[in-house]
Amino acid sequence: MSLERKDDHDHKGWMESRELTPIETVYLTALIWLDKRLRIVDYLEILEDLYYKVNMQMPKSHTEQYNLDNKFWYWYPLYALGSFSTLAYIVAAISGALLGFYYAPAAAAADGSPTIAYDSVLLIMGQLNLGFFLRSVHRWAAQIMVAAVFLHMLRVYFTGAYKEPRELNWIIGIVLISLTLVFGYTGYLLPWSQLSFWAGQIGVEMSLSIPLIGEWVAQLMFGGFTLSQSTLVRMYILHVFVLPFVTTAVIAVHIGIVWMQGIAEPH
Amino acid sequence: MTEDDSKPTAGRRDVVVPLRVYKTVTVFSTLFAVLCVVGGFILVDTATQRASVPASEIDVPVAIAGLGLILAGAVVYAFSTRFRTEEMGKSKDDATEESGNG
Repeated sequence: MSLERKDDHDHKGWMESRELTPIETVYLTALIWLDKRLRIVDYLEILEDLYYKVNMQMPKSHTEQYNLDNKFWYWYPLYALGSFSTLAYIVAAISGALLGFYYAPAAAAADGSPTIAYDSVLLIMGQLNLGFFLRSVHRWAAQIMVAAVFLHMLRVYFTGAYKEPRELNWIIGIVLISLTLVFGYTGYLLPWSQLSFWAGQIGVEMSLSIPLIGEWVAQLMFGGFTLSQSTLVRMYILHVFVLPFVTTAVIAVHIGIVWMQGIAEPH
Repeated sequence: MTEDDSKPTAGRRDVVVPLRVYKTVTVFSTLFAVLCVVGGFILVDTATQRASVPASEIDVPVAIAGLGLILAGAVVYAFSTRFRTEEMGKSKDDATEESGNG
């Protein structure tokens, strides 16, 4: 051993001072060999340094102040779920607008049994360039949004982020998750397939089961007690006209309040 | 294996390395694992033509290569978890400092 000081970059000297198994030595040597050539870690360190410099002016967060990071870090990815659902919403909006060019909400049969609505879905899936892709993107975005919104709600609940002064935003969030589900339901009916039709039938029966106002709700939402053209058009207008405006506005308020109040930190 | 730098806790080997080496291990093993797993799935997809061909027409060597690549990615990643750097506790279990938040 020489008297020369060994720094972290003196990998050879460092490795000899440990007792590593042959596999570990090969593993580390291979990764260090790559590291010396590709230098990804150096660039990441520059980014890390930049991050701290940018945040130099910021007050310490709760987690930093009370040293909670070591207990709490595994929650952090879940703090991205709100952004994730917003992103899914935007993807669904764009793909949905494009689908709207090809979909026709008509329950009338074109010739025999299949309806115009179902035919237009078949056209999108079978004939249209990238149509299969477009509808898949729309569907996946919808599925992911529902899941992400639900998990976002769990995260908010279990980190106690709904507490004072954020009660209002919790309530708005409940409205938003309901709107998301209605969005999903109305979209589910649009292909007017067997699945859609019987899901619609269930919807009518559920409305009718509400005491006192049941019949009125079924009339309003489904345009009658049996499924017809007016059911499909109502679902279509809800899905592409009413809900987009309402939901976008409520999301804007929801995010605006988070922006004003700041993210709820763990206590 | 010396007493201070690597101790088997509950059957798991634990190797303490310098911080810079730890970063290298984390970054490159993750990169490796991601590339292997994604590449493996691409190979499996190619071999089965996106799971659309009957079992008899699957390209067996390519499919096995794909599964092997996925497995290799998992092994590389799992192997990387034995390395840690000084003062790095095991997440929430054995943090030495109190949270001090009452």
